[in-house]
Amino acid sequence: MARIVGGIGLSHVPSVGPVVDRGRQTAPAWKPLFDAYIPVRSWLEKLNPDVAIVVYNDHVAEFTFDKYPTFALGAADRYPIADEGFGTRPLPEVPGDAEFSIHLCEELIAAEFDLTVCQELGVEHGFLVPMNLCFPHTASGWPVRSVPLQVNVIQHPLPTARRCYRLGQALRKAVSSYKEDLKVVVLGTGGMSHQLQGKRFGFMNEKFDQWFLDQLEGNPEALAELSHHKIMEEAGAEAVELIMWLTMRGALSPKAKRVHRHYYAPMTTGMGLITFEE
Amino acid sequence: MCAALCSPAEREAFKRDEETFMARFCLTEEEKGLIRKRDFKGLIEHGMNIYAMLKIGSTTGNSLYRMGAQMRGESYEEFLATRNMKDAV
Repeated sequence: MARIVGGIGLSHVPSVGPVVDRGRQTAPAWKPLFDAYIPVRSWLEKLNPDVAIVVYNDHVAEFTFDKYPTFALGAADRYPIADEGFGTRPLPEVPGDAEFSIHLCEELIAAEFDLTVCQELGVEHGFLVPMNLCFPHTASGWPVRSVPLQVNVIQHPLPTARRCYRLGQALRKAVSSYKEDLKVVVLGTGGMSHQLQGKRFGFMNEKFDQWFLDQLEGNPEALAELSHHKIMEEAGAEAVELIMWLTMRGALSPKAKRVHRHYYAPMTTGMGLITFEE
Repeated sequence: MCAALCSPAEREAFKRDEETFMARFCLTEEEKGLIRKRDFKGLIEHGMNIYAMLKIGSTTGNSLYRMGAQMRGESYEEFLATRNMKDAV
């Protein structure tokens, strides 16, 4: 049977993409971020997952406002690299696992999460930056298969934090009923504190972010109670992406052990990192 | 209009002839005026989504941080001086 072996909460700042593409990971401004992932990558090599389910949001690249799904799941064997307005990054296509995805779709829809099922889906920085940080690609491609799970966190009305947490719990059940013996990690991406619009552009709140990391570890139920307004007031309008970390946390058992934790806020986003192991 | 800018050919079309490009979409005169003026603060106040606006920024040579400085009412340099590590761009 398939099982979830670990979870990662991490930010998906777009400026990380060009840093990877130009090999600037050791530049002084970026080294603290990339160094934090060295032990995470070693840990992932030991866990040796077959599939990474990446809970992320698209930024008006593949999903546009003429039709916008609340939750969308990739169900393909490959995901091309999307152009989100800055050109297509020089990355290999990301391998998927359509059979596993279709199982997840069937189980999640049976559990009353009415997903949009995507048999064609390009992926952009919301998905790719976390993959770059956790699963560096080589000339032969990516070291893991992926399932993209897209959440609407950019066009109101948004799903609630609790809904995202419950989606994670349903995802856990769906994974565990898959017949094949797969090891799965779940990545919850986005956030942490940031605001990218208006007079408050550049707002961050490390105190809130550290509190969120504390609660994610020991009391995720409390985070599921947070309203969008509360998150936006305390941590900036775009910090509402943090509800996607709750899907990751919901997919893990309450007793999952925290392994790594890091925080770096150089420019306009609190870049958090937390990992859990079953 | 912004979704179209997720294509190199369309970004070139915008750069070549902005007026012809904008005429293809259902924009009001007010909206076209804000785009012509690169008034990112005004576009956001008008209801534009930040991630859609980033594509206009990319096409017109205005990075997120340049747009942000304008929204804050600061120069780019003034904005960078407020950051913890301004080289992380």
